Amino acid sequence: MRLNAPSRAHQSIPATRRALLTVAGALLLTGCSSSDSPGDAAAPTGKPVDGGTLRYAVTGSPATASNDPHGGLGNESDLLRFALAYDVLTVPGKDGEPKPRLAVSWKPNKAMNRWTFTLRDDAQFTDGRPVRAADVLYSLRRIADKSAENYGRLADFDMKASSADGDHTVVLATRAPMAQAAKALESVSFIVPEGTKDFSKTVPGSGPFKVRTSGAQTAVLVRNDRWWGSRPHLDRIEIQAIADPQARANAVTSGQADVAGSVSPAAVKSAGNSGGLQVVRRKGVTEYPFIMRMDTKPFDDPRVREAFRLATDRKALVDTVFLGYGQIANDLPTPYDPSYPGDLPQRVRDVAKAKELLQQAGHADGLTITLHTTTAYPGMDTAATLYARQLSEIGVKANVKVEPADTYWTAVYAKKTFYTGYYGGISFPDLARVGLLSTSPTNETAWKNKKFDTGFTRAMGTLDADRRNTLLADIQRDLWKDGGYVVWGTGDGLDLAARGVTGLPDGPGFQRMFIDQVWMAK
Amino acid sequence: MTLRPFLRPVLLTVAATAVVFTATELLPGDAGDLRRAGRASEQDIADERDRLGLDRPAAVRYIDWLYGAVRGDLGRSLVSGRTVTGLFAERLPATAALVVFALAVTVLLTAAALTVAFLRGGHGGALATGLAAVPQSVYAAVLGTVFAGILGWLPAVSLLPPGGSPFDAPQALVLPGVTLALPSAAYATALLRGTLVDTLRRPHVSDARTRGVPPALVLARHVLAFLLIPALRVTALVAGGLMAGTALVETMFGYPGTGSLLVSAVAVRDVPVVQAAALPPVVVLLLCMLVADRLAVLHSGRSGSTDHGSGPAVAAAVGGRA
Repeated sequence: MRLNAPSRAHQSIPATRRALLTVAGALLLTGCSSSDSPGDAAAPTGKPVDGGTLRYAVTGSPATASNDPHGGLGNESDLLRFALAYDVLTVPGKDGEPKPRLAVSWKPNKAMNRWTFTLRDDAQFTDGRPVRAADVLYSLRRIADKSAENYGRLADFDMKASSADGDHTVVLATRAPMAQAAKALESVSFIVPEGTKDFSKTVPGSGPFKVRTSGAQTAVLVRNDRWWGSRPHLDRIEIQAIADPQARANAVTSGQADVAGSVSPAAVKSAGNSGGLQVVRRKGVTEYPFIMRMDTKPFDDPRVREAFRLATDRKALVDTVFLGYGQIANDLPTPYDPSYPGDLPQRVRDVAKAKELLQQAGHADGLTITLHTTTAYPGMDTAATLYARQLSEIGVKANVKVEPADTYWTAVYAKKTFYTGYYGGISFPDLARVGLLSTSPTNETAWKNKKFDTGFTRAMGTLDADRRNTLLADIQRDLWKDGGYVVWGTGDGLDLAARGVTGLPDGPGFQRMFIDQVWMAK
Repeated sequence: MTLRPFLRPVLLTVAATAVVFTATELLPGDAGDLRRAGRASEQDIADERDRLGLDRPAAVRYIDWLYGAVRGDLGRSLVSGRTVTGLFAERLPATAALVVFALAVTVLLTAAALTVAFLRGGHGGALATGLAAVPQSVYAAVLGTVFAGILGWLPAVSLLPPGGSPFDAPQALVLPGVTLALPSAAYATALLRGTLVDTLRRPHVSDARTRGVPPALVLARHVLAFLLIPALRVTALVAGGLMAGTALVETMFGYPGTGSLLVSAVAVRDVPVVQAAALPPVVVLLLCMLVADRLAVLHSGRSGSTDHGSGPAVAAAVGGRA
């Protein structure tokens, strides 16, 4: 989730301006009179067409644009360029499990703290040098060395104790037994030639495209004919970094770009009138859970937490906040994770029961509380306002306090008693590590549970994916019953694309950055 | 010619950068903890702050910055590590083109509005004041809706071709440029109308008018000379204001200039970039003021009068909203 944070900065536009932009966008689009509504992205159909230039408008901020794939990955526009220009060891699969990329296979030792990754032997950098284990080790070590910049992207690995075994095998040591080493390397393990120090300009990569020009606003990439993988169909990809979500959407509706990444539900709704566009829906990307600190009154009483969950009208929230582009959730923060316990009953609204629970907890005369929220992501404040109204029906007076967006994550997040959180498609194990273990740096709900901790450690030491997911599902059941989350829904990640753009990824997380097999119908 | 007239702009520039620096210091959070997004350990943040040099006292960092700036080194971005001069070199031409275009439109519109005001004997000032009070974002929304949405004449976003300059896509300048120019022109008109009305009240003007001299001749012979110096001063003021106004329009239209760079740099507390981005409006304003002052001195020296061009409007302008 922290890698999703940058877009927050770009979206922290004052609410009045956002409203204006949205109004402008809506007006702008009603002007084009076509009744054709945007269809959901079609699965790749027909025979791919070779050639053409794809113009991709992506979230980006000129102040944070970087050429260094190993530092803080502040910008989606950079990430997109890196994902096209560099090879990574593994990529996220559609099912959430890691899939081979530069690494063809991986297996652990018995203790599961040494992983042997076998690399493909036909990869080469754009300058003709082969990609060797030494390059991989150099790149991973550089990422680990820059941990202060990238907040410990590879903190679970002991890069000093890792080594190369021949030209195409690396042995990676982990600090503790770790079943999901391949997942931890997913997408962000960009490989550069050994010894590269100067990142002030683009360095050779071994990915499907090579960078021709790159600036803070635009980058031009052309197909890398030396790439080992399936030959990309596109000749050229132009990346335009645009901070404002409405400007990105406008770029596609007016034909100045072929794809706009991460647009708002409102922009998609208004694009409904412009015709000729498709919408890519990436499930489970945005989530604004309400977070109750279990170590603070009144949420130290499980009956209050349950009452707050029962007060939630999930459908109304999804319809209002995500304009229907989302799914209701069941109070677990990562319903898209392969470990999600799908057999739990769906919690539904029950005002009478909620009132009764509050009464039992000694709040028969009602309860007054502050619900903190912000405008960092579109709809966060709306969610809190609507939820406060729903809470009033069980006798809780929740005063919504909208905090400044740029300091919300330092001043409010994981500090206040009752506040609105954000997740951008984090996996359950990652969430547990940063926010649910007794030792987690930001335990946002103050969930401290021995059984959970030991269950998690056991699951992480289990190699078999099915077995591991079963163990993880078990510890989530307790969280569902007793935790500090009100998770009412997940919003879709929304991309707008011109008709004819085919094969845009709609899978989880960083998968959306790997657009090398996209093609455009003529 | 002495150096004294130049001393004031330099001191004012230093003062302005000090204000900007203090303002960024007063913003809650710094580049170190804003990048953590609530998920890094305290140690990570301390390391990051240490790496960025944010643990040094603010005054030391400011003096460092100032010393570097004098030598032409504006430092490096805290976030991307790129040189600030490089970041600006990439984007300044786009903003310069936008500001020059907007200034030209402002001057034309103001001239047209003042001519109308003159022909109507100085009436109708409320309209200009009203238009000047409308926020830029409203102009952007309305213009975008009409010209990009309904009529489809202009691009909805002002993207420049990769590696290209504004001259490769001049149509991209129109919407942001006009958005900048409309309130500026209204503002300039509101300021100069006062001087115009005063001038029209002068005996030799009313005398010429009663004698039936054609309006065009009155304007050229008796009025323009009085408007020239205030107009120069207002132009200087407006130029600085336009430069500062690029932050909003560039962000709204996705135009790759220094204004949108400033906006994103503030969001991540990238102080060296914010500092440098605050310089162009200040420098443009002060340079233009300097030029306007010099010209005023030359002008008054030539005509031998002292009261030309120091009408009440300009005094108001200096405390005005640019």
